Amino acid sequence: MPAGDAFSARQQDEVVRAIRLAQQQSQLPVSVYVGTLEGDSRAAALTLHGALGEGAARTVLVAVDPGARRVEVVTGPEVRRRLDDRAAGLAAMTMTSAFQGGDLAGGIASGVLSLAEHAHVPPSLHTDTPE
Amino acid sequence: MTARHLRRGLAGGTVALVLLATQALASPAFAATHPDDGSDSGPGLSVLQTILIFVGIPAGLFVLIALLVTAPSIARGPRYRPGLGWWAAPVWFNGPDDADSAVRSASATAGGGGASARW
Repeated sequence: MPAGDAFSARQQDEVVRAIRLAQQQSQLPVSVYVGTLEGDSRAAALTLHGALGEGAARTVLVAVDPGARRVEVVTGPEVRRRLDDRAAGLAAMTMTSAFQGGDLAGGIASGVLSLAEHAHVPPSLHTDTPE
Repeated sequence: MTARHLRRGLAGGTVALVLLATQALASPAFAATHPDDGSDSGPGLSVLQTILIFVGIPAGLFVLIALLVTAPSIARGPRYRPGLGWWAAPVWFNGPDDADSAVRSASATAGGGGASARW
Protein backbone atom coordinates (compact mmCIF):
# COMPACT_ATOMS: atom_id res chain seq x y z
CA MET A 1 0.00 0.00 0.00
CA PRO A 2 1.74 3.17 -1.11
CA ALA A 3 1.49 6.25 1.05
CA GLY A 4 -1.25 8.54 -0.18
CA ASP A 5 -4.94 8.17 -0.69
CA ALA A 6 -6.52 5.19 0.99
CA PHE A 7 -9.16 4.76 -1.68
CA SER A 8 -9.50 5.43 -5.35
CA ALA A 9 -12.36 7.64 -6.46
CA ARG A 10 -14.48 4.65 -7.38
CA GLN A 11 -13.87 2.93 -4.04
CA GLN A 12 -14.72 6.13 -2.20
CA ASP A 13 -17.91 6.32 -4.20
CA GLU A 14 -18.80 2.77 -3.20
CA VAL A 15 -18.52 3.60 0.52
CA VAL A 16 -20.36 6.89 0.19
CA ARG A 17 -23.19 5.21 -1.68
CA ALA A 18 -23.56 2.54 1.02
CA ILE A 19 -23.69 5.21 3.74
CA ARG A 20 -26.33 7.13 1.80
CA LEU A 21 -28.40 3.98 1.28
CA ALA A 22 -28.30 3.24 5.02
CA GLN A 23 -29.54 6.76 5.71
CA GLN A 24 -32.31 6.55 3.14
CA GLN A 25 -33.59 3.05 3.78
CA SER A 26 -33.26 2.75 7.54
CA GLN A 27 -32.69 6.33 8.69
CA LEU A 28 -29.45 4.99 10.12
CA PRO A 29 -26.65 7.57 10.30
CA VAL A 30 -23.40 5.70 9.75
CA SER A 31 -19.92 7.16 10.05
CA VAL A 32 -16.93 5.25 8.68
CA TYR A 33 -13.38 5.84 9.86
CA VAL A 34 -10.45 4.13 8.14
CA GLY A 35 -7.10 4.67 9.79
CA THR A 36 -4.98 3.83 12.76
CA LEU A 37 -6.66 3.24 16.10
CA GLU A 38 -3.97 4.22 18.59
CA GLY A 39 -3.52 2.08 21.69
CA ASP A 40 -6.51 0.00 22.68
CA SER A 41 -8.58 -0.12 19.52
CA ARG A 42 -11.93 -0.30 21.33
CA ALA A 43 -11.14 2.72 23.51
CA ALA A 44 -9.89 4.63 20.46
CA ALA A 45 -13.08 3.81 18.56
CA LEU A 46 -15.23 4.93 21.50
CA THR A 47 -13.36 8.26 21.57
CA LEU A 48 -13.88 8.68 17.83
CA HIS A 49 -17.57 7.97 18.34
CA GLY A 50 -17.70 10.58 21.09
CA ALA A 51 -16.11 13.07 18.68
CA LEU A 52 -19.16 12.81 16.43
CA GLY A 53 -20.78 15.42 18.66
CA GLU A 54 -24.49 15.92 19.15
CA GLY A 55 -25.65 13.16 16.85
CA ALA A 56 -23.30 10.58 18.37
CA ALA A 57 -26.00 8.80 20.37
CA ARG A 58 -27.97 8.16 17.20
CA THR A 59 -24.96 7.31 15.01
CA VAL A 60 -23.17 4.05 14.28
CA LEU A 61 -19.43 4.33 13.88
CA VAL A 62 -17.52 1.77 11.87
CA ALA A 63 -13.81 2.11 12.63
CA VAL A 64 -11.39 0.07 10.54
CA ASP A 65 -7.68 -0.18 11.25
CA PRO A 66 -6.24 -1.96 8.20
CA GLY A 67 -2.72 -1.98 9.65
CA ALA A 68 -3.65 -3.66 12.92
CA ARG A 69 -6.40 -5.64 11.15
CA ARG A 70 -9.11 -4.58 13.53
CA VAL A 71 -12.64 -3.43 12.97
CA GLU A 72 -14.80 -1.82 15.65
CA VAL A 73 -18.50 -1.13 15.37
CA VAL A 74 -19.71 1.40 17.96
CA THR A 75 -23.40 2.07 18.42
CA GLY A 76 -24.57 5.07 20.40
CA PRO A 77 -26.86 4.54 23.42
CA GLU A 78 -29.92 5.55 21.40
CA VAL A 79 -29.21 3.66 18.23
CA ARG A 80 -28.38 0.57 20.26
CA ARG A 81 -32.08 -0.02 20.79
CA ARG A 82 -32.54 -0.23 17.02
CA LEU A 83 -29.38 -2.15 16.29
CA ASP A 84 -28.39 -4.82 18.78
CA ASP A 85 -24.87 -6.10 19.30
CA ARG A 86 -25.59 -9.30 17.39
CA ALA A 87 -26.38 -7.32 14.25
CA ALA A 88 -23.21 -5.29 14.82
CA GLY A 89 -21.22 -8.50 15.18
CA LEU A 90 -22.70 -9.87 11.98
CA ALA A 91 -21.73 -6.71 10.11
CA ALA A 92 -18.23 -6.91 11.58
CA MET A 93 -17.91 -10.49 10.36
CA THR A 94 -19.18 -9.53 6.90
CA MET A 95 -16.47 -6.91 6.75
CA THR A 96 -13.61 -9.05 8.01
CA SER A 97 -14.32 -11.80 5.50
CA ALA A 98 -14.02 -9.26 2.68
CA PHE A 99 -10.95 -7.64 4.24
CA GLN A 100 -9.19 -11.00 4.31
CA GLY A 101 -9.48 -11.05 0.55
CA GLY A 102 -8.03 -7.55 0.34
CA ASP A 103 -11.29 -5.82 -0.55
CA LEU A 104 -11.34 -2.90 1.85
CA ALA A 105 -13.90 -0.62 0.23
CA GLY A 106 -16.21 -3.46 -0.78
CA GLY A 107 -16.08 -4.91 2.74
CA ILE A 108 -16.95 -1.59 4.32
CA ALA A 109 -19.82 -1.08 1.89
CA SER A 110 -21.34 -4.49 2.53
CA GLY A 111 -20.83 -4.05 6.29
CA VAL A 112 -22.68 -0.74 6.26
CA LEU A 113 -25.48 -2.25 4.19
CA SER A 114 -25.70 -5.16 6.62
CA LEU A 115 -26.07 -2.69 9.49
CA ALA A 116 -28.81 -0.87 7.62
CA GLU A 117 -30.60 -4.10 6.84
CA HIS A 118 -30.73 -5.17 10.48
CA ALA A 119 -31.65 -1.83 11.98
CA HIS A 120 -35.22 -1.56 13.16
CA VAL A 121 -36.72 1.32 11.30
CA PRO A 122 -38.58 3.63 13.67
CA PRO A 123 -42.26 3.73 12.70
CA SER A 124 -43.03 6.99 11.01
CA LEU A 125 -46.16 8.42 12.58
CA HIS A 126 -48.88 10.38 10.86
CA THR A 127 -48.04 9.17 7.40
CA ASP A 128 -50.52 6.30 7.19
CA THR A 129 -53.55 6.90 5.08
CA PRO A 130 -56.60 5.23 6.66
CA GLU A 131 -58.50 3.00 4.32
CA MET B 1 -15.15 -46.69 -73.57
CA THR B 2 -17.18 -46.04 -70.51
CA ALA B 3 -16.83 -43.08 -68.18
CA ARG B 4 -15.26 -45.33 -65.56
CA HIS B 5 -12.51 -46.39 -67.93
CA LEU B 6 -11.82 -42.78 -68.85
CA ARG B 7 -11.50 -41.74 -65.21
CA ARG B 8 -9.16 -44.63 -64.43
CA GLY B 9 -6.95 -43.73 -67.40
CA LEU B 10 -6.78 -40.09 -66.27
CA ALA B 11 -5.77 -41.07 -62.72
CA GLY B 12 -3.01 -43.33 -64.00
CA GLY B 13 -1.71 -40.60 -66.27
CA THR B 14 -1.60 -38.05 -63.47
CA VAL B 15 0.38 -40.39 -61.21
CA ALA B 16 2.93 -41.07 -63.93
CA LEU B 17 3.30 -37.34 -64.68
CA VAL B 18 3.86 -36.45 -61.01
CA LEU B 19 6.47 -39.20 -60.65
CA LEU B 20 8.33 -38.00 -63.72
CA ALA B 21 8.26 -34.36 -62.60
CA THR B 22 9.66 -35.26 -59.18
CA GLN B 23 12.46 -37.19 -60.78
CA ALA B 24 13.30 -34.30 -63.07
CA LEU B 25 13.31 -31.71 -60.24
CA ALA B 26 15.60 -33.89 -58.10
CA SER B 27 18.21 -34.44 -60.82
CA PRO B 28 21.72 -32.83 -60.43
CA ALA B 29 21.33 -31.01 -63.72
CA PHE B 30 18.26 -29.23 -62.42
CA ALA B 31 20.03 -28.30 -59.17
CA ALA B 32 22.91 -26.64 -61.07
CA THR B 33 20.62 -24.25 -62.91
CA HIS B 34 18.01 -23.72 -60.17
CA PRO B 35 19.61 -23.11 -56.71
CA ASP B 36 17.47 -23.91 -53.68
CA ASP B 37 15.91 -21.17 -51.63
CA GLY B 38 18.48 -19.98 -49.11
CA SER B 39 21.58 -21.33 -50.92
CA ASP B 40 22.43 -17.73 -51.76
CA SER B 41 22.76 -15.97 -48.39
CA GLY B 42 22.54 -12.46 -49.81
CA PRO B 43 23.91 -9.36 -48.08
CA GLY B 44 24.43 -9.72 -44.29
CA LEU B 45 22.62 -7.72 -41.61
CA SER B 46 24.31 -4.65 -40.23
CA VAL B 47 25.08 -4.50 -36.50
CA LEU B 48 22.23 -2.07 -35.97
CA GLN B 49 19.74 -4.33 -37.75
CA THR B 50 20.95 -7.36 -35.82
CA ILE B 51 20.51 -5.58 -32.50
CA LEU B 52 17.12 -4.26 -33.54
CA ILE B 53 15.81 -7.67 -34.57
CA PHE B 54 17.33 -9.92 -31.92
CA VAL B 55 17.28 -7.54 -28.93
CA GLY B 56 14.82 -4.79 -29.78
CA ILE B 57 11.84 -6.93 -30.75
CA PRO B 58 12.09 -9.35 -27.74
CA ALA B 59 12.60 -6.45 -25.36
CA GLY B 60 9.66 -4.63 -26.91
CA LEU B 61 7.45 -7.68 -26.56
CA PHE B 62 8.58 -8.09 -22.95
CA VAL B 63 7.62 -4.51 -22.13
CA LEU B 64 4.31 -4.81 -23.97
CA ILE B 65 3.28 -7.99 -22.16
CA ALA B 66 4.37 -6.60 -18.79
CA LEU B 67 2.27 -3.49 -19.44
CA LEU B 68 -0.74 -5.58 -20.43
CA VAL B 69 -0.43 -7.57 -17.22
CA THR B 70 -0.05 -4.61 -14.87
CA ALA B 71 -2.39 -2.17 -16.61
CA PRO B 72 -5.63 -3.33 -14.93
CA SER B 73 -4.23 -3.05 -11.40
CA ILE B 74 -2.71 0.37 -12.17
CA ALA B 75 -6.06 1.53 -13.47
CA ARG B 76 -7.83 0.14 -10.39
CA GLY B 77 -5.65 2.15 -8.07
CA PRO B 78 -3.85 1.13 -4.89
CA ARG B 79 -5.04 -2.06 -3.35
CA TYR B 80 -5.07 -3.10 0.26
CA ARG B 81 -3.16 -6.29 0.97
CA PRO B 82 -3.65 -7.88 4.39
CA GLY B 83 -0.39 -8.16 6.29
CA LEU B 84 1.51 -5.52 4.34
CA GLY B 85 0.63 -2.67 6.68
CA TRP B 86 -1.15 0.60 6.09
CA TRP B 87 0.39 4.00 5.51
CA ALA B 88 -2.42 5.97 3.96
CA ALA B 89 -3.76 9.04 5.71
CA PRO B 90 -6.89 8.39 7.81
CA VAL B 91 -10.22 8.80 6.05
CA TRP B 92 -13.42 9.65 7.84
CA PHE B 93 -16.68 9.40 5.94
CA ASN B 94 -19.56 11.27 7.50
CA GLY B 95 -17.27 12.39 10.32
CA PRO B 96 -16.99 15.70 12.20
CA ASP B 97 -15.99 18.74 10.16
CA ASP B 98 -12.84 19.42 12.13
CA ALA B 99 -11.82 15.89 13.02
CA ASP B 100 -8.57 16.70 14.85
CA SER B 101 -9.99 19.14 17.38
CA ALA B 102 -13.19 17.10 17.72
CA VAL B 103 -11.19 14.02 18.68
CA ARG B 104 -8.95 15.97 21.05
CA SER B 105 -11.90 17.39 22.99
CA ALA B 106 -14.02 14.25 22.78
CA SER B 107 -14.89 11.93 25.61
CA ALA B 108 -15.46 8.26 24.97
CA THR B 109 -19.04 7.24 24.37
CA ALA B 110 -20.58 5.55 27.39
CA GLY B 111 -23.54 3.20 27.36
CA GLY B 112 -23.13 2.34 23.72
CA GLY B 113 -22.79 -1.07 22.21
CA GLY B 114 -21.34 -2.65 19.15
CA ALA B 115 -18.87 -5.32 18.22
CA SER B 116 -15.22 -5.90 17.60
CA ALA B 117 -13.57 -8.20 15.14
CA ARG B 118 -10.15 -8.87 13.71
CA TRP B 119 -8.90 -10.57 10.63
